[in-house]
Amino acid sequence: MLPLTSRGPEEVIFHRGPVPVTVRQFLAEVAALAARLPDEGPVLNFCADRYLALLSFAAALSRGHVTLLSADRTPLRLADIARLHGARYALSDTEVALPLPVLAPGAGAGAAAPNPAIPAAMVAAIAFTSGSTGEPRPHAKPWGALVAGARAAAERFAVTPGTSIVGTVPAQHMYGFETTLLLPLQGAGAGHAGAVFYPSDVAEALAAVPAPRLLVTTPLQLRALLGSGIALPAVSAIISATAPLADSLAAQAEAAFGAPVLEIYGATEAGSVASRRTLDGDAWSPYPGVAFAIGDNRAEVTVPGLPAPVPLSDVLEPAGGDRFRLVGRQGDMVKLAGKRASLAGLGKILSDVEGVREALFLAPEDLDHNPRARLAAFVVAPGMSAASVVAALRGRVEPAFLPRPVVMLDELPRDEVGKVRHKALAGLAWRRS
Amino acid sequence: MTTTLSLEAEVAKLIVEALHLETAPEEIDPAAPLFGEGLGLDSIDALEIALAVSKRYGFQLRSDDERNHRIFASLRALAAHIEKNRTG
Repeated sequence: MLPLTSRGPEEVIFHRGPVPVTVRQFLAEVAALAARLPDEGPVLNFCADRYLALLSFAAALSRGHVTLLSADRTPLRLADIARLHGARYALSDTEVALPLPVLAPGAGAGAAAPNPAIPAAMVAAIAFTSGSTGEPRPHAKPWGALVAGARAAAERFAVTPGTSIVGTVPAQHMYGFETTLLLPLQGAGAGHAGAVFYPSDVAEALAAVPAPRLLVTTPLQLRALLGSGIALPAVSAIISATAPLADSLAAQAEAAFGAPVLEIYGATEAGSVASRRTLDGDAWSPYPGVAFAIGDNRAEVTVPGLPAPVPLSDVLEPAGGDRFRLVGRQGDMVKLAGKRASLAGLGKILSDVEGVREALFLAPEDLDHNPRARLAAFVVAPGMSAASVVAALRGRVEPAFLPRPVVMLDELPRDEVGKVRHKALAGLAWRRS
Repeated sequence: MTTTLSLEAEVAKLIVEALHLETAPEEIDPAAPLFGEGLGLDSIDALEIALAVSKRYGFQLRSDDERNHRIFASLRALAAHIEKNRTG
């Protein structure tokens, strides 16, 4: 059994509006919300407010209900997950029409409440990735694994109890869930509740919380922050994840914001498992308790609390001691906006569109270093335009994977043995840049 | 009215250029949603648009909300928001 929170009753766990929320108040609100939940889970949690997301997760957990985490808040996706995983109700602060009861997690405190004990083996949450055909694939997170991950992160980043954590990543994305909800719950620091996305949001959110401040973000948003030229209040560190950060971007950010830029390596299946300071080099250090097994073309990671080693979709190589380097992506897997897909899977979806004779997706060479990179599609579809191809893909693939450019061809270029000539295609798509 | 119409066209062009869209600016339905089922933009695009808008019109987009939904509800809504807040 592990307690719901490892924090002391008078510690601040969240900043929501001007008055900080103490652990004592949080536990009282958890008990009050838990008391009015339906009898059975699972529960779909898609709260936008980070504090309400945490409150909802904690209340459901204390009732033994599994939380389904969907970072994608489109009604279609939410309904899919609810149907496939038997959600009985949803907790949300935004209105979405769903075929199940949607409750608002009001933050009304009841009487002082105890810190409930939760079985370490209980599946506390299920996170999702997209399968090759777009259907959500579940990844179960035992409570013990979530707790171990949060404590490892607190130790690795030396987060102090008084650190304010401002995040730009959705609370229901595995990375955002771990760093902005579980870190305050089971590690250290106090979360920031409000929506933070644009550069001006980041500046305002940081200004609204006390120092020291930790900014949890992505390469894409770091790039936007630097591009906007906006001034930020002092931060003690910046953490980036979801995609490798280019050295040049890290160097610019360290110079502009006067703080170390750190990166987390992880995957929805495994959670956060390693970190590095970008400017210290390309070797990653595993989190405490995490072990990597690196084979020729296959790596897996053993994570405290997870029942089996997790295969990774990246190719790794040892870098001395327990450290490793990222060499590339496994097979044809690509990652954009924190979401993964296989190029072959996307090509298959496109080929299945009526009127399309042949189709292929390719990733640009700078995919792993350019936060703005997009995939290209090559399509043989007499009578269709690039725009109509994109229109047909909408709703079938995640918006991040909608191709740009779409190159319409009379036929795919092939070599003597009939293999498609990828180099020639790449030349057609990216000659402009 | 003419100002709004031409600003709409200008913003459509800005979006298409900033995002390398396959759509021609004049093909964007000014009343259709920019995100999701409409033009199919995503969060990467939202940041790009915010950056392009701040450079061209001299003010920052914010997400306090609600209001943000309305701003990105359509090309027309975005143009109206720019009209109201532009400093450049």
